[in-house]
Amino acid sequence: MMRHNLFPRLCKIIVLFAFPTLLLFGCASTTQIILLPDADSKVGVIEVSTDKGAQTLNQAWQATESASMDKTPGEPKILEKEEVRRAFREALVAEPAPPVSFIMYFKTDSSVLSTESLALLTKVLDVFHARKATDIIISGHTDAVGSVDYNRSLSLRRAKTVADILVARGIDRQIIQMTYHGKGNPLIPSSDGVPEPRNRRVEITVR
Amino acid sequence: MRTILIIIGLTLFCYIGMAKAEEPRAGFVKNVSGQAFIERNNVTMPANVNDRLIEKDTLLTGRNGSMGIILQDNSVMSIGSDTRLVISKFLFEPSDAKLSFTAQVKKGTVVYLTGLIAKLNRRGVRFETPTTVCGVRGTHFAIKVTDPSGDVKTLLPKIMQ
Repeated sequence: MMRHNLFPRLCKIIVLFAFPTLLLFGCASTTQIILLPDADSKVGVIEVSTDKGAQTLNQAWQATESASMDKTPGEPKILEKEEVRRAFREALVAEPAPPVSFIMYFKTDSSVLSTESLALLTKVLDVFHARKATDIIISGHTDAVGSVDYNRSLSLRRAKTVADILVARGIDRQIIQMTYHGKGNPLIPSSDGVPEPRNRRVEITVR
Repeated sequence: MRTILIIIGLTLFCYIGMAKAEEPRAGFVKNVSGQAFIERNNVTMPANVNDRLIEKDTLLTGRNGSMGIILQDNSVMSIGSDTRLVISKFLFEPSDAKLSFTAQVKKGTVVYLTGLIAKLNRRGVRFETPTTVCGVRGTHFAIKVTDPSGDVKTLLPKIMQ
């Protein structure tokens, strides 16, 4: 009986001594950061810092590692593309395609769509189905000619026109988020009273 | 008197309800696979496609899990298995020039592609890990945080039993 109980007890003792040792030597968290090219093969810039220093990544597949806030991050190295793809396979497979945005323009004081805009809506629907989109954001805008109240309702009418056509073409109204900004959030900032055709628009984002 | 109190109570209740419902959306879940969860106010719930995400949410995956999300500024992020990431700050109000996103990667693998916040605010996007702070000026990158201490902690109770 005594012999029988000894083994688990021994294990416990070993673990109790081993645990602090593991904490001292085995708990170091490390971070690896890798700069990837985007879909257009463009490459951005990342500044990786700790309390002691910093490294800048600005080339495709360039990486740095850091084991502590008290040390400068490691010298940047270029990694093998395939090695990175393998290490991040799960996250890369799960990476959503970035949302796609469209802009539709309107004539002064009008919420009527042009023939070109109607053709663009067909493209919106194609993208919607191709990427199995879960929602669409529609935002209406005007230029800075006219009163604030009038422009708000004009921007709403513009957004509604676009939403109604999409619904007529089979999109569920529930998944459309509609906002209207009047002359707010202009594409091209301009002074009040200045006509600006590029601001008379509806933006559509398919996500 | 009592009816007045009840009405006031109900009105207050509605306002609190509204305030909660209006908590600004940070993004939504675009895809999930395997064990994937959202932790909010210390409650962990399984993640589903189209789930709304808000500031302070933690994204969690198990051994075979992964998850892809789209944030309100059109940036996209995905996490692989055994990952823990906190959306510690998300502000996207371009008209008020409020543009900032901070994520804390506790462990696991993350891939991120910047959106409008990084475009409009050069210092807007930040990823923090236990051993670094990354200032992201753009555009596409991957982070891996290995955390052996986490493994020891999960292993220990099993040995002790």
